[in-house]
Amino acid sequence: MAEYKKTIGIEIHTELKTKTKIYSNSVNGYGKTANSNVNVVDLGYPGTLPTLNMEVIRLALKAALILNCEINRDMHFDRKNYFYPDLPKGYQITQAETPIGVNGYVEIEVNGEKKKIRIHDIHIEEDTCKSIHYKHHSFLDFNRAGVPLVEIVTEADMHSSEEAMAYVEKLRELFLYADISDCKIEEGSMRCDVNISVSKTSELGTRAEIKNIGSISNIGRAIEKEAARQIALIENGKEVEFATYRYDEKQDETVIMRVKEAGNDYRYFPEPDIPFVEIDDELIAEVKKTIPMLAGERRERYVAAGISLLNANKIIQNRNLSNYLNKFLDSGINLVIASNLLLGDISAYLNKMGTELENTKLTDEKFIDLVQKLDKGDINSKVFKDILDDVMEKDTTIDEIIASKGIKIINDPSALKTIISNVLESNSASVTDYKNGNTRAIKFLMGQIMKETKGSANPELVNKLLEEELNK
Amino acid sequence: MSKYLDLSIVEINKLLKEKKIKPLDLVLEAFDRIEERKDLNAFITLDKERAIMKAKELEDKEVDNLFFGIPIAVKDNIVTKDLRTTCASHILDNFIPIYDATVVEKINDCHMIIVGKTNMDEFAMGSTSQTSYFGAPHNPWDVQKVAGGSSGGSAACISARLVPLALGSDTGGSIRQPSSYCGIVGMKPTYGRVSRYGLVAFGSSLDQIGPMTRNVYENALLLNVLVGRDDRDLTSSHKEKEDFTRLIGEDIKGMRIAVPNFFVKEDIVSSEVLNKLHEVIELLEKNGATVEYVDIDYIENAVTLYQIIAMGEASSNLARFDGVRYGYSVEDPKGIDELYALTRGNGFGDEVKRRIMVGSYLLSGENAKIYYNKALQIREAIRESFLKVFEKYDLIIGPNATTTAYNLGEGLDDPLKTFLDDILVIPVNMAGLPGMNVPMGFGEGHLPIGLQIIGNRFDEALMYKLASFVEKELDLELNPLEVR
Amino acid sequence: MSDRLTKQEVLHVARLARINVTEEEIEKYQVQLKQLLDDVDKIKEVKLTNEDRLIAPVEEKTVCREDEQGEMLDPEEIMKNVPSSNGNFVEVPVMINE
Repeated sequence: MAEYKKTIGIEIHTELKTKTKIYSNSVNGYGKTANSNVNVVDLGYPGTLPTLNMEVIRLALKAALILNCEINRDMHFDRKNYFYPDLPKGYQITQAETPIGVNGYVEIEVNGEKKKIRIHDIHIEEDTCKSIHYKHHSFLDFNRAGVPLVEIVTEADMHSSEEAMAYVEKLRELFLYADISDCKIEEGSMRCDVNISVSKTSELGTRAEIKNIGSISNIGRAIEKEAARQIALIENGKEVEFATYRYDEKQDETVIMRVKEAGNDYRYFPEPDIPFVEIDDELIAEVKKTIPMLAGERRERYVAAGISLLNANKIIQNRNLSNYLNKFLDSGINLVIASNLLLGDISAYLNKMGTELENTKLTDEKFIDLVQKLDKGDINSKVFKDILDDVMEKDTTIDEIIASKGIKIINDPSALKTIISNVLESNSASVTDYKNGNTRAIKFLMGQIMKETKGSANPELVNKLLEEELNK
Repeated sequence: MSKYLDLSIVEINKLLKEKKIKPLDLVLEAFDRIEERKDLNAFITLDKERAIMKAKELEDKEVDNLFFGIPIAVKDNIVTKDLRTTCASHILDNFIPIYDATVVEKINDCHMIIVGKTNMDEFAMGSTSQTSYFGAPHNPWDVQKVAGGSSGGSAACISARLVPLALGSDTGGSIRQPSSYCGIVGMKPTYGRVSRYGLVAFGSSLDQIGPMTRNVYENALLLNVLVGRDDRDLTSSHKEKEDFTRLIGEDIKGMRIAVPNFFVKEDIVSSEVLNKLHEVIELLEKNGATVEYVDIDYIENAVTLYQIIAMGEASSNLARFDGVRYGYSVEDPKGIDELYALTRGNGFGDEVKRRIMVGSYLLSGENAKIYYNKALQIREAIRESFLKVFEKYDLIIGPNATTTAYNLGEGLDDPLKTFLDDILVIPVNMAGLPGMNVPMGFGEGHLPIGLQIIGNRFDEALMYKLASFVEKELDLELNPLEVR
Repeated sequence: MSDRLTKQEVLHVARLARINVTEEEIEKYQVQLKQLLDDVDKIKEVKLTNEDRLIAPVEEKTVCREDEQGEMLDPEEIMKNVPSSNGNFVEVPVMINE
């Protein structure tokens, strides 16, 4: 029996990180008091007209370039007309005919295989207002009305939930790194609609749309559930309905929202209030300059520097850490140590204090100094832990901090030798064990020496001297 | 009663400067006149208390410009902060705007005093102002006749000399046609000359605010104040400010003037209108201008384009009147659908509902391509035809209206009449050109007949030059009270 | 060709426009809307040599605004015009889940 093949296309709406809204100069931020980030334009007051936020054009252009799109150099906007209380003007200003970018692609990797997902288009539009439903009423907060969005529409190029998840994860990573959006799926600043159909033949089946799935893992689960539902219908000789669903996380199933009317009648027409927008070479060059090193290249560079893939991915998940690490890519310091510090004690410190790197006193010079000292063995991780708070909170240099803590790094072999012979004398049993072939005894002896030196000895040197002494 | 408001703006300004009169004298006189001619129904809302207060405030201020203290009337589709703005519709009859239109800011900056909001067709849809929820304004030359539309109230109050200045708006002739019917000067500037911010949109790509006045010079002066780039309206032009009066009084010798053959077709235009036009043509030729008849391709399609584009845009522009955020809202709706359907069903008048429905239909499904897209293509063709004419000619002239003002009550239930009334004025809006009315005589029953002057983009100054020449040469008595 | 629209057609455009129509109005619009639609049908016959469109008679390109904050409204001021409000919120009958 032939297998069912899934065919998946994805539409993603992402809010752009701007200070103000797209068509008005009120604040883009809707966590505040209801209807406090609103002006007459956002409310669709009679006589008001849209303006256009340049930053929206820049960010959308950046996104289109990252997605390898062809750019519409002479673009306009269109009105999408429909009635809904969350849509103040009775139409949404979007782009239908001339999206800012078309015919792009995103490369994903699933199980070691690379694949290009084609991007049909990326277009600019405005968000609707937020509504809260309670009993017989809905309550509208227009703070979100007019927040800038880009919508990215793929071709139906994905055939498994893994590919779909990889695509969303990749897009999220790209936009996060290019500082286009904060891409918080759970908070709604990035919203995913998945179109899925199943078929045994080359002819596509009837598709269902699953709206606004709340996390990347749920995208995978929703696709599996919906595909299973569709297959069961077909196997039972029933037809798949052309409809819109949502994914219910608790029930782990797709729930129907509404049956689609044959072709929504949005009565699109070109927006007369916004003349053509020209995207010239100069603007493209300017925006290209703002595209930072993206996640894929970062990963390659990290792994090439000896960082494990696991740690490289961990750093990339945190753009601040990754940006910080990138400052030292060409500095010649040991990037493995640097990445371990960032992922380990420094992250722990930041979490504990609820702060960000840029708010601490950790300067680039201090960081380089720390990594080099650790690399050379001038300090060890114990000392590093002891001085971390001061490093992050004081303006003084690492040397000054070490001195002020009364920590002396014992790097003098003759001084160490004395301590070692003292320890060996008082632990002669372990020495005997070692000589009898119990190599583990050396660890105990090391520990005793470090205890004696209060952790201030260079462990590598101690190890070397100890072995010499024991093997005499 | 004082008669200061019969004086020219320049004369009034002189009296104000010499402290012989105060702005309050002008305001009180305006309200006396308005009260006396209540029968004209020219205003929807008056703002007497605040006008008086403002006039008193001006007493301590220096008379710093020609418009200082002059009363002005504003069409009721231009929003005025804290002053009811209804668009002559039930759906907005309780609507108090919380911001000022850009043009209102400009007239306030010059210390003009707004006396009230003028009557009009509901949402400017109509050619007689009879679709007003507040009843039609009357023509001061004959109160049985319509004042024209949609800026009928503004035209009537200028014609009856209630105030010297008014603002109108013109989507498909709504300044020029009532100006023609009422014997006043009205200018629809180039699309983009005047900011539309605060003008309640009807046909966004066609709408333009313009001055309506007793004479050409004052019209040009008022336009000087209204124009300029406004960052709140992306379609407003960056064109530098200029003095529109600068060519007034110059010789018209050598001017090249075109008359579209379509504008003199006997099956479209009445003979008394054509006769007046021919007299003007003769006058121009006698004074050294050349006048030639030309064909303008696709101009005969303008009305159809207007129906498609204006109704399509209107169906979208008026979607915001839904009873949610402002304006009339039906009580206790059973659900969202009922809130919409009843608010809009009860709130809008017949003409508006008709146009919204037709506009929605013309944009729905495949129709958007068959009708709307095709209309935009023909629209470009019309624009190019006009531009071709302007390669050879300085100005285009013709009538504004096919007849003089007709009886109130006529054509109310004929959905096509209102469009055909505007057959001569609509092409200008399609191409975004400036067009104006200057009175050129009277027809039967001593009803005014107007000359339309059409200019190339941003050629308003040249139009004023020709208009003032015609005005001076014909020297018509344009105050209906003086004629009676 | 009939000189009127069907009742269904009138109800369809009324629904598109979210305008309630009474039985009496349906009768009237069956005739009036048909007249208007027949009139605009003329456009189909027009021959063109060029397919360029004119969306709005503006020759200048859009000049965008920089991303700087402007004035905003006080929620109280907004609510003055709102037909049905609840605290800082605009209230409507419950929306069908879309």
